[in-house]
Amino acid sequence: MMHFNTLLKSAESLTINIKTRLATQQFKGCLLLFVSVMMAYPLTSYASTLNVEVAVPFINIHTGPASEYPIFYVAEKGENLSVLKSHTSWYKVVLPKGQQGWISAQSLNQTLYPDGSGVRVESGTFTDYANRDWELGIGIGLLEEVTSLSASASWVVTPNIATEITYSQALGDFAENKYWSIRLRHTTFPEWRLTPYLAIGAGQLRTSPRSNLVASGDASRSNDMMEVGGGIRYYMGSHLLMNLEYKSVLALTQRDEQEEIEEWKLGITVFF
Amino acid sequence: METRNYSIFLTLLCVIGLVSPPAIAQDPLETENRRLEATPPPVIEPSIERRQITEADIDSEDIELTTFVGFVSIQDFGSDSIFGARLGYHITENVFMEASYGTATAGKTSFEELSGGAPFLTDDDRDFTVYDLAVGYNFNNELFIAEGWVFNSDFYFLAGAGATEFGGDERFTVSVGAGYRVLITDYFAVRFDIRDHIFNSDLIGEEKSTHNMAYSLGLSVFF
Repeated sequence: MMHFNTLLKSAESLTINIKTRLATQQFKGCLLLFVSVMMAYPLTSYASTLNVEVAVPFINIHTGPASEYPIFYVAEKGENLSVLKSHTSWYKVVLPKGQQGWISAQSLNQTLYPDGSGVRVESGTFTDYANRDWELGIGIGLLEEVTSLSASASWVVTPNIATEITYSQALGDFAENKYWSIRLRHTTFPEWRLTPYLAIGAGQLRTSPRSNLVASGDASRSNDMMEVGGGIRYYMGSHLLMNLEYKSVLALTQRDEQEEIEEWKLGITVFF
Repeated sequence: METRNYSIFLTLLCVIGLVSPPAIAQDPLETENRRLEATPPPVIEPSIERRQITEADIDSEDIELTTFVGFVSIQDFGSDSIFGARLGYHITENVFMEASYGTATAGKTSFEELSGGAPFLTDDDRDFTVYDLAVGYNFNNELFIAEGWVFNSDFYFLAGAGATEFGGDERFTVSVGAGYRVLITDYFAVRFDIRDHIFNSDLIGEEKSTHNMAYSLGLSVFF
């Protein structure tokens, strides 16, 4: 109640102030300046959805985010679409009459921005692969004849060089080997679809004997390790890559002999 | 007082005249005169940058988070309820990758039940935890429930690998499964999933390959 009263009082004093200055040229000038500024400011820039215009003879609008969903409308050249969101490489749009549908990324690349420039969205093509920023991968392989599973994330620094962090585990009959490593990867020919690469890195390896063999006296041991490896990677299309890799891991143990472990891995990677 | 009201009225009229010139399409000379005396050239040239929405601003909904409950039949140890979560990433309209985590508690083996002898495992060891990374393939389709009631849906197969912690042991596990996902809206789905977790176990005696089927119902959110 107090707040409301003070608000009223301040509003009153404000109007009295305005009234005393209304006759002045100064206020008229301010008001007209404000109006001209408002006219110059484009109001359409407040829209929070992307509005595009169809630039090709027709664009097919599907009922769902896949090419298998039926086409229920065909947007003609010059029609305006509002893009709401995307799912994989499909974009949800609002049609001029209000219905909603989905268009593919290739179709969206055939539309224009309000200022006339063409829309360019990435859709996992080879050009997008060259411009990628980071990757996520999973791999399955053999670590000293034990099936291993690994997950990795890479950050692409230049087209040739990427840094990668990997976690891998091989759960065998006699022992479990788990390691993580950070490595630097150099891709020899990034402009080719099939290219070799080399990698070098370091991390930590933990080896634990199987629980039913604990009585043998060996406890779980954790060692720093270094790794060097190489392989080939192949761009499959639609955001996917496949890679085949050989890796040699050198565990820096406390014992007299250094332990060398070999791993072969087949992986699938997604890039963004 | 009157002159002041008059000047207010004139100013308002000028404002209206500036903002909607097509509305005052009467005498062009009069409008021109009015406009000339009402618009002094602006002192400041406003340089407003047109804010352009680019494709980077489009919200993408490729990540799927699912919570599920179901039953898992643990070979030799009876069946129990399983619950967990899955995090998936949809790569293309047909391919997706998913990480999954589920926990259950195993029951007793039939030997333990019938013989009444010492149990094979402690209670802690009976916790069954399985996690895996899988790649799946969608077959997109539509579900027609009744006239005019249609949902987008997809049937998927998936194969993955991971590990199972059971009996104090962690074993490499291969998971193969299939499921059906009904998209209630673009961002909300109901999933029915069947997975077989295959791993080698020697808890009963000799080492053998065990199959543990998990049937689950899940709710997913896309974001």
